[in-house]
Amino acid sequence: MQDISPATLLVLVPLLPLVGAIVTVAFGRLLGSRAHLPAVISIAAALGCAVVLLAGTARLVGDGHGGPARPVEMITTLWQWATVEGSQPFSIPVALRLDPLTATMLTIITSVGLLVAIYSIGYMHDDPGYPRFFALVATFVFSMAMLVAASNFLLVYVFWEAVGACSYLLIGFWFRKPEAAKAAKKAFLVNRVGDFGLAVATFLLWMTYGTLNFHDTLSADGVIMPGILGQTRLADAAGYVGGIVGTAICLLLLLAACGKSAQLPLHVWLPDAMEGPTPASSLIHAATMVTAGIYLIARSCPLFMACPDALTTVSIVGATTALVAGLIGTVQNDLKRVLAYSTISQLGYMFASLGTGTLLGFTAAIFHLLTHAFFKALLFMGAGSVMHSMGGVIDMRRFGGLRRVMPITAATFLVGGLALAGVAPFAGFFSKDEILASLHSRGWPDAHHEDHHAAAQKGYATHFHLAASSPENAAVQGENEPRPLSRIDSPATFRTLFWMSLFTAGLTAFYTFRAVFMTFTGPTRVPEEAGHHAHESPPVMTAPLIILAIASAVSGWLLFSTHALANFLAATPSFTAPAVVATAVKPAFHWDLALQGTLAAAIGIALAAYGHLGRRSDGPQMERFLGPLQTLFARKFFLDEIYTALVVRPLEAVAFIFALFDRRVIDGLVDLVAGIPFAVAAVVRQFQSGLLQRYALAGVVGVLAIVVALAWQLRG
Amino acid sequence: MNDPVNIGTLLSGTLSDTLTVSLPLFRPELTLSATIVLLLLCRMLPLLRLLDSALVALGGAAFALWYAWLDMQALPVFAEAASTAGGRTEIFSGLLVFDSFTAYLRCILAGFLVLYIVFTKVSGIPDREDGADFYSLVLGATLGMCLMASANHLLMVFMAVEMASVPSYALAGILKGRRAASEAAIKYAVYGAGAAGIMLYGISLLAGMLGTCHLPSMAVELGRFAQAGAPGGSVMVLCLGGLMLAVGLAFKLSAVPFHFWCPDVFEGAAAEVGAFLSVASKAAAVALLIRVAYGLGMPAGGAAAGELVADLAPVRHFAVAVIALMAAVTCTLGNLAAYGQTNMKRLLAYSTIAHAGYLMMGVAAAMALAGPKPAAAATAVGAVAFYLGTYVFMNLAAFAIVAFLRNRLRSEEIAAYAGLVRTSPGIVVATAVVLVSLIGLPPLAGFVAKFLVFSSLVQAISLGVDRQLMLLLLVVGGVNTVISLFYYLRVLKVMTFDPPPEDRVGEAFPLVSLSGAVVTALAVPVLVLGIFWSGLYAAAQLAGAFAS
Repeated sequence: MQDISPATLLVLVPLLPLVGAIVTVAFGRLLGSRAHLPAVISIAAALGCAVVLLAGTARLVGDGHGGPARPVEMITTLWQWATVEGSQPFSIPVALRLDPLTATMLTIITSVGLLVAIYSIGYMHDDPGYPRFFALVATFVFSMAMLVAASNFLLVYVFWEAVGACSYLLIGFWFRKPEAAKAAKKAFLVNRVGDFGLAVATFLLWMTYGTLNFHDTLSADGVIMPGILGQTRLADAAGYVGGIVGTAICLLLLLAACGKSAQLPLHVWLPDAMEGPTPASSLIHAATMVTAGIYLIARSCPLFMACPDALTTVSIVGATTALVAGLIGTVQNDLKRVLAYSTISQLGYMFASLGTGTLLGFTAAIFHLLTHAFFKALLFMGAGSVMHSMGGVIDMRRFGGLRRVMPITAATFLVGGLALAGVAPFAGFFSKDEILASLHSRGWPDAHHEDHHAAAQKGYATHFHLAASSPENAAVQGENEPRPLSRIDSPATFRTLFWMSLFTAGLTAFYTFRAVFMTFTGPTRVPEEAGHHAHESPPVMTAPLIILAIASAVSGWLLFSTHALANFLAATPSFTAPAVVATAVKPAFHWDLALQGTLAAAIGIALAAYGHLGRRSDGPQMERFLGPLQTLFARKFFLDEIYTALVVRPLEAVAFIFALFDRRVIDGLVDLVAGIPFAVAAVVRQFQSGLLQRYALAGVVGVLAIVVALAWQLRG
Repeated sequence: MNDPVNIGTLLSGTLSDTLTVSLPLFRPELTLSATIVLLLLCRMLPLLRLLDSALVALGGAAFALWYAWLDMQALPVFAEAASTAGGRTEIFSGLLVFDSFTAYLRCILAGFLVLYIVFTKVSGIPDREDGADFYSLVLGATLGMCLMASANHLLMVFMAVEMASVPSYALAGILKGRRAASEAAIKYAVYGAGAAGIMLYGISLLAGMLGTCHLPSMAVELGRFAQAGAPGGSVMVLCLGGLMLAVGLAFKLSAVPFHFWCPDVFEGAAAEVGAFLSVASKAAAVALLIRVAYGLGMPAGGAAAGELVADLAPVRHFAVAVIALMAAVTCTLGNLAAYGQTNMKRLLAYSTIAHAGYLMMGVAAAMALAGPKPAAAATAVGAVAFYLGTYVFMNLAAFAIVAFLRNRLRSEEIAAYAGLVRTSPGIVVATAVVLVSLIGLPPLAGFVAKFLVFSSLVQAISLGVDRQLMLLLLVVGGVNTVISLFYYLRVLKVMTFDPPPEDRVGEAFPLVSLSGAVVTALAVPVLVLGIFWSGLYAAAQLAGAFAS
């Protein structure tokens, strides 16, 4: 591998799955039951490249003991996609980047992608769309890898759409099922709202910064043109606009992230997306694609640092989503939907963490993203294993006691559940602890007696100025005016968010173990759809489960105890903005927070055990004591109904009118216009009689006509 | 001219000029001639008879392409020697001219010939028996077309047109024993003879008035006429002569109202012959139109001969008016008549006519721009050259598909293509690429070509030269593009949406086959040139450089 340059490897990571997808499409029928080979092999090779890149990047970053991290990035420009000369030259290079954040994301994507692909060999084995599935998975891995490796907002937008398209196609994989088709449509349309945000944000970024590149570029005459997230601008204290424009950009980016990462109020598509094949849910709707929003905000954090209000909004959206989705998750009876709401909730955690605007918050979000990718993929694949064995039934009330039927699935699911619930020493415990710590540090700035927060305050202050005001004014403002207390990014806000998150931690433990107990404990019951052969899944499905279970068990402790991930990520250029660096704290383990978190998890598990451990899952449930609240949660806070009434119905009415207009008026006009050439053509064809004499006559007449026309034309 | 002419000096001068200057620049044509001789020998000598005539022809065409390519590469040298951008060099005592345009066109023609021979070899027409005849006719016609692209003398113009036409008449009737083919050949020959006669009359009128047939000298004489304020009668005669010359060219271009032969010939003759007439013949005719229009409308030295350029303005205006009017009518009638055609070859014949219209629009724009802005005129000629380059692939692919489908389905009716997508999706995709490119939609080559031509019209409009005519052409071009959408897409509609006929004969047509490979090799460049067009564009712009 020494001979291959990092740039080549970086290109290979997305390229290999793309080749795999093309080969699958071209020869899928030919390969038949071996159609998984191109996808599996190419994703495995991509994983190899990603790991080498990760190791290389880690070597560049060093061990993090030499003071604040220096930015590490490498850019490969493949070609110039579009170049427009002019007073404001515009060029879109197809440039890929490598930095700690990208390397981490690439490794997550390809590793989970590989495990899901292997698992699907068993899960999808006699599906008529077998080759199509693997082609889509490989295409998705390509698109997602490009999304995190692109070094340009426009390219990000392109692959943002591409992963959306893959998601759409996979949700609607069984497109003959009306619910699947409907769910795919819903996901597509809801995502469109977010994508619109990203598009407008891209326009605004172009207007504000005059470029869309992340990185600095050299112009033809050797002048450095600072990119939006390039090191020139990052080093410049006044490099990012705040004020109305900055906040608008950030909120639009947040809207985009909310769409892709299923945050309030755009979360409604994700539970329905469970209509897709379970491995696809596992890969796209749990581990990778839905984290694109986290990635986007983390990547553009310097923009957010200049707009504290937008940043706090991220936290508020995240914590609220976490709570609401957690509440809904407590009363779901569909195993996959429990996991879907759990995903929304956990993504909410990550948003809450990002919104703290501290280095700890950013790295904690990515840390949680990583551990969540492992344990949530594990839980989904476990649910898929159950579904596979139960003949497609996924309603937890219809089976129970499955630990005797499928011991491996049960054991690995339990590990995943423990990690999700945040029980030490499983992965989720550590990442959740860091998130709580980051919220805590903003809620009780004095309690964290390091001087970091003062630095953080200063960092905000220097960046808090309107776009219109000059830098000098801004500096004066920042020094003289204390930040008004009525601002939303006050400690009080974060205190509330902290308590919400802690409560959600308890909820998480509750619904997770409710699902574990309902599915795997109690008397063994199997639905009739499963027939008489309810059995453990084949090794090709259980092996990925075991690998992910190990990862879910140890990755948290490994990465937390060594602070390897935090140190590594800190070298990401975006995280080396002075405003971010100013918030850096010494890595620490907060016993008080850990105790609180563990206590919340313990209460949740205990409640779940009280209600469900060892009971028949089809009996009366404990949750009915919630009364009307249960209805509220079960009906998902009536959000779907509200959207239908407020958005869908009015749009349908407008669409009906337009459709009528289109059919009657526009089509009528088109038909009329289309009729004209036919009429003329009928006349023209008359001349083509096949008789040479007539042709000659027509020629003569034609010449005379030309002479007349010429005479008229040249009369002057 | 006062010196007594020494026959010996004259002879030796001509000889050395021929040997050192003319013949080296004539290598592609010489190669073609040698190949024709070899093909004829193949027919007669027993040992050579074992050789496949297609391979011989292919070898000759490949050599011709190689030499044409070398000449193209050597252009900068000529440009320096001639100190003009186009590297203009008169050869064979002024009968022919070598410049960037000649070099480019010969590359296009020879390149087309290579592709064409491969295509006909795979499609099976001509059979082995007819091969030698067929290919010597094709090579002979191509030789004539090369001369058309480099003609610098009206006699040469006439000779070249006839050299290209006479083999074409025979080619149209190459399917012996088929009534339609024979009828088509006869019609074509009679019509062609009439057109040639009129053109010859026009040439003699012009020669009589101007005292020369050498195009640059004619331009000088015309300039003198224009400056001196020629008497009305002589202008009349000149106009008449020009118009008659235009008739001959219009026949080759299949421009309205001299297009009538085209659908009948295309329908009657084999698709392979149609491909040759539609692509090579069209390219050569457009090249000849540019040669004649430029030769008469601009001094040989280009814009450098400032005074003469201004004097020739009426000539150019006349040429623009004739070409533009014909272009508008040709394009419109071609597209309209294509509506409701049921035979694919006939449809393509009208499509060919329509495309001749678009090409002539580019020529009109170039002529309009030639005086006021030579650089823009060169770009316009480059646009036409680019159009020709892409047209080779688009139309050859279209006819190749027709020929291969005929071999399978035993029919060239559009209705017979119904539901092809179910058995042969690959070929339908290829057809879609080709037809959509003929419409001129991005991201295919046809779009870029059309865009370039239309943009030179816009250039002319913005400069205000012959504004009304150019505006008319732009509107006509745009409207026609929309019209053409319908009949091209109808073919695709039949192929994809209509149920296949129950009595379908013949098997599926997979792309993974010899003929499929030919179609792919022709259709892929249509896509590639639509995205990566800078290479061909640079070459085409170089070709247009002679006009600057």
